[in-house]
Amino acid sequence: MEALDLLEIEHWRPFAYIGLEHPFFNLNSETIIYTWIVLFIIMSFLIFFHFFLHKKESLVYSAVSLLIESFADFTEQTLDFFSFNHFSFIASLFVFIFMCNSLAIFPWLEEPTNDLNTPLSLGIISFMYVQWYAIKELGFFHYAREYFQPFFIMFPLHVIGKIATIISISFRLYGNIFGGYIISTLWFSLIKSSFFLEIAGLLTGNLVVIFFFGIFEGFLQAFVFSMLTLTYLSLALHEEESFQTHESSS
Amino acid sequence: MIELHHYIHYITVALAAGINAIGVGLGEGTTGSAALKAINTQPVATNDIIKTAVIGMAIVETAAILGFTVATLLIFDTHFAHPTAFSGIAEIGIGLAICLPGFFIGIVSALPAHYACVSLARQPFFGKNILRFMLISQALLQTPLIAGFIIAIAIKSQTTLGTTWYDSLRLLASGLCMGLGSIGPSLGLGIYARTACSMVGINRAVFGKLFSFTLLSQALIETSVIFSLVIALLIIFAHSTTMTQSIALLAAAVCTGLGTFGAGIGSGKTAAAACMQITTIPEEMPTISRMSMIAQGLMDTCAIYALIISIMLIFFH
Repeated sequence: MEALDLLEIEHWRPFAYIGLEHPFFNLNSETIIYTWIVLFIIMSFLIFFHFFLHKKESLVYSAVSLLIESFADFTEQTLDFFSFNHFSFIASLFVFIFMCNSLAIFPWLEEPTNDLNTPLSLGIISFMYVQWYAIKELGFFHYAREYFQPFFIMFPLHVIGKIATIISISFRLYGNIFGGYIISTLWFSLIKSSFFLEIAGLLTGNLVVIFFFGIFEGFLQAFVFSMLTLTYLSLALHEEESFQTHESSS
Repeated sequence: MIELHHYIHYITVALAAGINAIGVGLGEGTTGSAALKAINTQPVATNDIIKTAVIGMAIVETAAILGFTVATLLIFDTHFAHPTAFSGIAEIGIGLAICLPGFFIGIVSALPAHYACVSLARQPFFGKNILRFMLISQALLQTPLIAGFIIAIAIKSQTTLGTTWYDSLRLLASGLCMGLGSIGPSLGLGIYARTACSMVGINRAVFGKLFSFTLLSQALIETSVIFSLVIALLIIFAHSTTMTQSIALLAAAVCTGLGTFGAGIGSGKTAAAACMQITTIPEEMPTISRMSMIAQGLMDTCAIYALIISIMLIFFH
């Protein structure tokens, strides 16, 4: 079998003419274009919904309000209090990742999440958000004291553990979406080989591949990602309470 | 003319996809049978049980998908069109790094789904929270698999550079370290997640306490996986210019891989016992969790000894 171009990435080098030719300054052109397409789709959905929000009895209004209410309930249950900042952050993470993962249901488009840079940057964003709010809620010294619990020697372990959350959260998303991308690419290259197979494939397998890997797996991974971020957030914010119960019991 | 390295190349591809598929198949089978038994005992909760079982199986499937991805990358990569004996040895490392974690995680990550179905049969009106608990414990449980995937990709990016026996043995050592090192923590995580998911069904009042305790304990059990990951990455980027140095790297790999075995299983069992205690005596939770964390920290010192010896072998041979 001849090799597929599964790993070939086209690069833009916008800074090359001023001498910056290091790979760090390259831009993956396809990823950026698909991310902009995702943002465009989300934007057009928002405008569409905004138009319908004036009609209180319409189907779109009730669907959107049901979705938002379930998300708000979900955030409140996990955090034990409602905060509009956290709710909007988690909901936008979920919507963006879900649209990224299921972009492949449109022909000629690929998921931006099958490039490692997207999941890794999302992971770093969620990590920074959680740490920022932990410092803001607990105060810097209290936050820093968590790193030396229960002994002083545990400091490197705590640091490694914190960094490992970024790696595990982003590689989980990347591995699943990349696997789905490879499977669907193989499937489409297989049915392209003959006319009969293409007809049969269009009728049966395409739907399965698109709906399993695009919608179901995309929904599940986006849910797991936002859910893990929310759980880390609630754990970081409730650190103080558990610490106080520790002290009062001893 | 077919030579030995062709056999090695294709057998590695088959192992990477096949052994993961065996583990995942066994795991999904137990989940399916548990779901059917749960429906039999509690027909009221049929919808919740089916939803939980399907989502659980989809997450277990990750092991098979990652193994498949690595196998496909090995087949279709143009650099492997003409494999040599050196790249063949390095490919065994890739196979070990993905198929050992994949097999064990495939079996073990089905346990939360299995016991979540059993709990749902006991607590039919607590479905949402049990589903959430299962999702979180499964997602955290799959960290060894993701570490193995990272190492497999990292080895694959280095195989084209390997043109000597020393380089290929170095890459094999890295895969061996990750593969061996993921077995013990996977089993420990599985023991813990099984107990936690069945305890939610016994006493639903302690759900909040068990949730935070689960996150802490699973993070503590996973530290030994992170040790193996660190050693595997250090081995990949170490310098080896003689045969002696490559053998020292192999010894370092085996040292950390076997050293984390007992620590992983032991701290998993400790956390599981603490979880049972919290279910029966919820008001004593601070004491129990502190005791369990100190015991787990002491067990991790065994893994830390192995880690120190491995680092000495890598840098001061």
